[in-house]
Amino acid sequence: MMRAWLMVWALLLASASVWAEDLPVYRLELKDGKLNPARLQVAAGKKFKIELINSGKTPVEFESIQLRKEKVLGPGVESFVVVHPLSPGEYKFFDEFHMATAQGVIVAK
Amino acid sequence: MGQVLFIVWRESVEAMLVIGILYAWLNNHGAAAARGKRYLWGGVLAGLLCAIVLALGLFGAAELFSGAQDIFQTAMVFSASALIVHMVLWMREHGRTLKKELESGLADNAARNNWWGVLTLTAIAVAREGSETVVFLYGMLAGADGSTLLSMGGAALAGFLLALLTFFLLQLGGRFLSWRLFFRVTEVMLLLLAAALFMSGVEHLISMDYLPALVDPLWDSSALLDDMSPLGGVVAALTGYRAHPALMSLLAYGMFWLLVTGLMRWRQQQSAA
Repeated sequence: MMRAWLMVWALLLASASVWAEDLPVYRLELKDGKLNPARLQVAAGKKFKIELINSGKTPVEFESIQLRKEKVLGPGVESFVVVHPLSPGEYKFFDEFHMATAQGVIVAK
Repeated sequence: MGQVLFIVWRESVEAMLVIGILYAWLNNHGAAAARGKRYLWGGVLAGLLCAIVLALGLFGAAELFSGAQDIFQTAMVFSASALIVHMVLWMREHGRTLKKELESGLADNAARNNWWGVLTLTAIAVAREGSETVVFLYGMLAGADGSTLLSMGGAALAGFLLALLTFFLLQLGGRFLSWRLFFRVTEVMLLLLAAALFMSGVEHLISMDYLPALVDPLWDSSALLDDMSPLGGVVAALTGYRAHPALMSLLAYGMFWLLVTGLMRWRQQQSAA
């Protein structure tokens, strides 16, 4: 039973990553409270993907209430989020585990 | 952090309430009853152990599903929301008679010199509150370790100490705080928190494309209170406030309150009949 469920999850994940394949990709590095880049320029009106890389020694959480995203990444872990098409404007995000320093913004043009 | 503190505080007060009633009763019913106190503390210990086992089980499950974090988180926030609503409803029905029920159970046990009953009763109370705490906190603790776990542990400890203080103030006999007021205020806060969790579950579903956002965003009130600011973030986490809500989030929020008030009315009629 457990194994069957795991298979379903794996298939879901695989199909999700295939579906995300030909989206524009932006890279965001999170490192112990530092964001690189802290300002992400994306094309407005187009679905896109942000590759998240935690290159630090502490866990991070990419979060944006406005974009309804939250993702926890352990040290050294890579993941991604897919963001629906944005209208032009600025969208804030932060690393919830390093709130004080890790504040970023996505600019859709 | 605020959520961690609040949950630990409220759950600890509830567990202490049960322990406190039992303790006071044992203290006032002669030397024979006083012997039962050892079983009371045994029950506290057993309850804590149960809560820890449950926590380990949860983390084990999370390990298996680590690839599907989004889905797991969604399931967790929905179950936490449902648990909170269930707990509030339960306390509404039993809070008033809790003391009497506990004491009559104790008298039965004392008459039969059956202190294992005391142990079980305490263990169940502590395990219940403890495991609820674990489930609520799970979402926040997932994936956290090192420095974050330390500060969360700090917040949890602060919540526990605050609970001890609250319990002490409440024990002084309504001079500073009354149980009724305590439960009324925290009940409202808990329901708001449950609503916030429910909405964040729905937003996870929107984010994963399982639900449409409908109109997104419906308005922008970030000039008034920005949910991405530290203060706004706390308000958002505790009440479900959104500066840029999607129509679907708003509908979910309304539906939650309709459902909860409906449930309360229904249960009230049931107990009145």
